Amino acid sequence: MRSIAVALAVARKDLTSEWRTRELVPALAQFVVLALVIANFGFQIDARNAPAIAPGVLWMALVFAGLVAFGRAFAAEREQSSLEAMLMTPASPAAIFAGKALAAGLLLVLCEAVLLPALALFFSVPLSFEVVSAVLLATVGMAVLGCLFAAMVARVRARELLLPLLTLPLWIPFIVFGGQAVQVAMGGSGGTGNALGLLIDLDILFVVLTSLTARFVLDD
Amino acid sequence: MSVIVAGSLTQRFGSEVGLDGVDVDVDAGEHLAVLGDNGAGKTTLLRILATAARPTSGSLEIFGLNATIERRRLRAVIGFVAHAPGLYPALSARENLEFYCTLHGVDRGRVAEILELVGLAELAGRPADKLSRGAQQRLAIGRAVLHDPKLLVLDEPDASLDSGGADLLARVMRGRTAVLATHDHALANRLCQRTLVLRRGRVVGVPTRLRVVH
Repeated sequence: MRSIAVALAVARKDLTSEWRTRELVPALAQFVVLALVIANFGFQIDARNAPAIAPGVLWMALVFAGLVAFGRAFAAEREQSSLEAMLMTPASPAAIFAGKALAAGLLLVLCEAVLLPALALFFSVPLSFEVVSAVLLATVGMAVLGCLFAAMVARVRARELLLPLLTLPLWIPFIVFGGQAVQVAMGGSGGTGNALGLLIDLDILFVVLTSLTARFVLDD
Repeated sequence: MSVIVAGSLTQRFGSEVGLDGVDVDVDAGEHLAVLGDNGAGKTTLLRILATAARPTSGSLEIFGLNATIERRRLRAVIGFVAHAPGLYPALSARENLEFYCTLHGVDRGRVAEILELVGLAELAGRPADKLSRGAQQRLAIGRAVLHDPKLLVLDEPDASLDSGGADLLARVMRGRTAVLATHDHALANRLCQRTLVLRRGRVVGVPTRLRVVH
């Protein structure tokens, strides 16, 4: 119970800080809209090819927005020298990590709340329950992995370069299965059930793995 | 009874030696001042004693526990004031302390008491980044004693404090074992019973007793 209280306190603290400073979400929202505008001009979008192109654009925008969001989660703590102060309490490092990942994930969800309607508008593709489910399920796994590597590289100099190099290979399964689910939901062939099920499996796997490794990454 | 027993503490940063075979022994209720020039190893030593860093080699027991293994248990009884205040700039002074109450598992009722202790009761609602550097340091000191620690490790806490800072430090150190790193010899003389002088990571001479402990 105490770990849950700690995780919620850490997440609330990060979300309150973001609400008051508005540093990240407006910039990310602008970024994803700009990415869609550029893609819209870059590709010759019509009713025939939109369902094939839109999922790729969605995941590209999401991946790069995620890298920024998760990178900031620990960069801010490093700049403020506050991570050490948190770790100097008897609170579990895994609970602190869970709170950071929860807040970063929720900030990315806010960004997705702009991205998905904008995608439907620019590409004239349907925004179904399956599309939203695939994006939200992928966000969970991407958040825990992104935050783990963000914590790992927070103390090194070339962190902006290292974070994508470490994170992107492990995000590929989310992009593959999430992309498959979105493609089908937007009018492609096949079923989404299997892809969504695999996303849930990946989420469980990486939530457990990152919880076990968070202590060593944060505190050693 | 010894609270801190450290033997041959050594800390290396690559080829650089931060601490070189330092022995420290601090009794319960005793206040030890760590003196030395910049780069002498004061911060390195204090970070190890606060369990914020692990030594490369050497032994460290705090309250009879192995400090490299029992870090989380020890952190419940250690208060640490680091070089940087480490506050959340968008949160108020009160919110900063309330957040740490949750992390320490301490009742939030303690916050008002601590704000009063460090002289920030009237600035409780002000965001941390709108506080002066001295007030931020007071808040960091308040955070370090929020959970009523038995051992206080203070790394140059007087750096930004005003003339009332020494009184504040005397108040928070009272009744606790404390290790204080400072450049201010007068402050060390006022607050501590013994001094340990570091130079290039080594203890210079033998720890000096400043005055009789009553």
